[in-house]
Amino acid sequence: MLDRMRARRGGESADVRLTARVLAAIQDLDADLRDGLAGRGAQSAARRLRRLLAAEAVVLADLDGRQVAAAGPPPEPAELRAVLDQTYEYGSPAHRPPWSAEPLVVAGELSGALVVRGAEGELAPLAALVARSLDHAALRRARSRIAQADLRTLRAQISPHFLHNALAVIGARIRTDPDRARTLLNDFADYLRYSFSAQGDYATVADELQAVQTYLELQRARFDDRMELTVRMAPEVLPVAIPFLVVQPLVENAVRHGLEPKPGPGAISVSGFAEGPLCVIEIEDDGVGMDPGFARSVLAGKGPPAKRVGLANVDQRLRAVYGPEYGLVIETAPGSGTKVQVRVPRFMRGVRAN
Amino acid sequence: MAGLLAIGLLLAASMVIGVRGVRATRSTTPDFLVASRRIAPGLNAMAIAGEYVSAASVLGLAGLMLKYGIGSLWYAVGFTAGYVAVAALVAGPMRRSGAYTVPDFADYRLGSALIRRLCAVIVLVIMWLYLVPQFKGAGVVLHLVSGAPYWVGVVLAGLVVSVSIAAGGMRSATYVQGFHYLVKLLFIAVPAVFLVVHAGADARASALRMDLTDWGRPLLDVEDSGQPLLATWSLLLATTLGAVGLPHVIMRFHTSATARTARRVAVGVIVLLGLFYLFPAVYGLLGRVFTPWLVEGGDTDTVTVALPGAIVSGTWGSVLTAIVAAGAFAAFLSTSSGLLMALAGGLSHDLFRAGVPRLRMAVAGGALVAVLLSLPAQQVDINVAVGWAFAVAASTFCPLLVLGIWWRGLTAAGAAAGLVVGVCAATGAALASVLTEPEAGWLVVLLAQPAAWTVPLAFLVMICVSLPGRPPQWAESAVLRLHVPG
Repeated sequence: MLDRMRARRGGESADVRLTARVLAAIQDLDADLRDGLAGRGAQSAARRLRRLLAAEAVVLADLDGRQVAAAGPPPEPAELRAVLDQTYEYGSPAHRPPWSAEPLVVAGELSGALVVRGAEGELAPLAALVARSLDHAALRRARSRIAQADLRTLRAQISPHFLHNALAVIGARIRTDPDRARTLLNDFADYLRYSFSAQGDYATVADELQAVQTYLELQRARFDDRMELTVRMAPEVLPVAIPFLVVQPLVENAVRHGLEPKPGPGAISVSGFAEGPLCVIEIEDDGVGMDPGFARSVLAGKGPPAKRVGLANVDQRLRAVYGPEYGLVIETAPGSGTKVQVRVPRFMRGVRAN
Repeated sequence: MAGLLAIGLLLAASMVIGVRGVRATRSTTPDFLVASRRIAPGLNAMAIAGEYVSAASVLGLAGLMLKYGIGSLWYAVGFTAGYVAVAALVAGPMRRSGAYTVPDFADYRLGSALIRRLCAVIVLVIMWLYLVPQFKGAGVVLHLVSGAPYWVGVVLAGLVVSVSIAAGGMRSATYVQGFHYLVKLLFIAVPAVFLVVHAGADARASALRMDLTDWGRPLLDVEDSGQPLLATWSLLLATTLGAVGLPHVIMRFHTSATARTARRVAVGVIVLLGLFYLFPAVYGLLGRVFTPWLVEGGDTDTVTVALPGAIVSGTWGSVLTAIVAAGAFAAFLSTSSGLLMALAGGLSHDLFRAGVPRLRMAVAGGALVAVLLSLPAQQVDINVAVGWAFAVAASTFCPLLVLGIWWRGLTAAGAAAGLVVGVCAATGAALASVLTEPEAGWLVVLLAQPAAWTVPLAFLVMICVSLPGRPPQWAESAVLRLHVPG
């Protein structure tokens, strides 16, 4: 009895181990193919597939009939072309002993073939697995393209409202206070240049603050100087590189959703300092504030579209660059202002201002 | 009592500057950024010098001079000359790399997480070696001014530093460090001038009377080894190249806007350090005339604080003692907080990357270990221990930085091998020289001042292990970027 139980448990744990091995192999395959068929991992993926199939040789081929990666003795070019032609023509498995080919169909589109010689197992499920990994790779690329498009949107998203207000404010001062109007116009030009500048993903804190400063000067003129503005920066953090347009949208958010709805004067402060290996930037306003639950839903990307782009986009980009623990921190309550904190490492491999 | 009062006032002033001073760049005018980008190289240099001039310089140098003679001044030469090497070899390229710490730089240049962690471990070793003498100095000073036992002083110093960092010193503040340089310079220089005047012509003459054979010999002899030339060279190698690799010094250069100003700042530091080191020499010379009994029984590291009382009696004597004690405490405070921050940064950021770093806990933990290590270290000379910290930095980070900046062929494997060999050889030699008592001769020197052989060894290992390997493809562009002006 006891022996039987032990035997069964032994059998079970062998099963479990096998499952774990297979899962690990699948994961490794996915990692190998993360850059697609043309990526660097294709060769190691071919070797892994050969081991999984216990085959003599495995070849990954692309749509042009080129051999992208091979493990084991590769086929003659003529042999390969023949078996590939057959697969690609009908989009179905082909056999030309000793070689057999299985088409790789990624998201409904033929995009390559898996060519194998002397395999023991079934070919079709493995080809499906490879196709799915390739699909993942394509999705991953699409995701980073979307993030870039979001950033472009953000850059282009200077509200017409703000443009109109800024120009109106400058226009109103041209006769009464020409000097101030001139400064404001220069600020406006600087602001536009920074927002539209297309080069690079990162800027220094100093550059980012310069943009904030020009933006706030324009807003202050609009508020008839009823807005008090304080910038406090420890010199240590000025040369730190951070993702482009991180601080500016947060400040804009504070002005538009914190101070504008509030009657009477308002104050906004931007401060930055080093905390050991971290660079901390805080944007604080004494505006209307918001419900913490609402702030959470905005960060999760579920808020109303007007607010969503700024906060959620900044949060997402910070997490994408620095890792999940470096998102935005928002402290707020209705009627008592808002404090948004950015906390990022001062140095990160690959993060570099132009 | 006056001494405690002076130290309390100093602490309060540092706190106020720490909390308000960072925020001194408060402005509502658009000119603000232009101004802060042009943070004067002078202030910057003062901040670096303020962090760099430690208890080793204020207390240890005069003490060692009293014990071993004029030759001890080579320490001051090495500490200062280190900045020549920094300015020539690393200041500019480090500024261009964007790296804040040595682990950052290793990551940038070699792209290996393992090297990053290895560097963080070495940062801990160097920082603890450097912190122990600081805490010892604080313990000795507090003992002198209040009569409390040594261990109370050390524990109290640990508490004061941890609390002052937690209460606002986290923001490694340029202004506080600059303020501390001034405090140190004034509180050491003014009493020194006063004492020189007050000592009288006879004492001055006898202080300057030198015999070139023994005390006045211009070479440093470690523990009467009979190899003064070797010892002096080894010491110079350790202190000069050690300054290149000191983790908390490097990150200060990032306050400069460009690589060019970073270099200018390094030159400013040399001037400020040269000015400062005139005064410990004064205490050493006068100490030989007025407090020779310290050599026999007492702790020579206390000479700077004990001297004013020995020359001037009465109220003025205790006022001067209080001033000097406050200066020494400022040295301890600014250096230790800089060291602890670098240590905590390495601990929380490089070694344990999970979650948002818990800096405060890392600071407390680092201070605790430093206090525990300092308790049995009362007999170790401050400057000797600091010399070891420099020797370890010289035989690990100096080769890493110099080869990393100037040689494309460095590989991760080579750097790792060199770092491991360097840190093991240097700390091993220092430990052996504390725990064993070899017979006099060159072996004593090679154990107590290991830089002469550990630095070339580390360079050699790094080069030899790197040569057969292939550097990563991007090494060329990574090195190029360190040298492109802009």
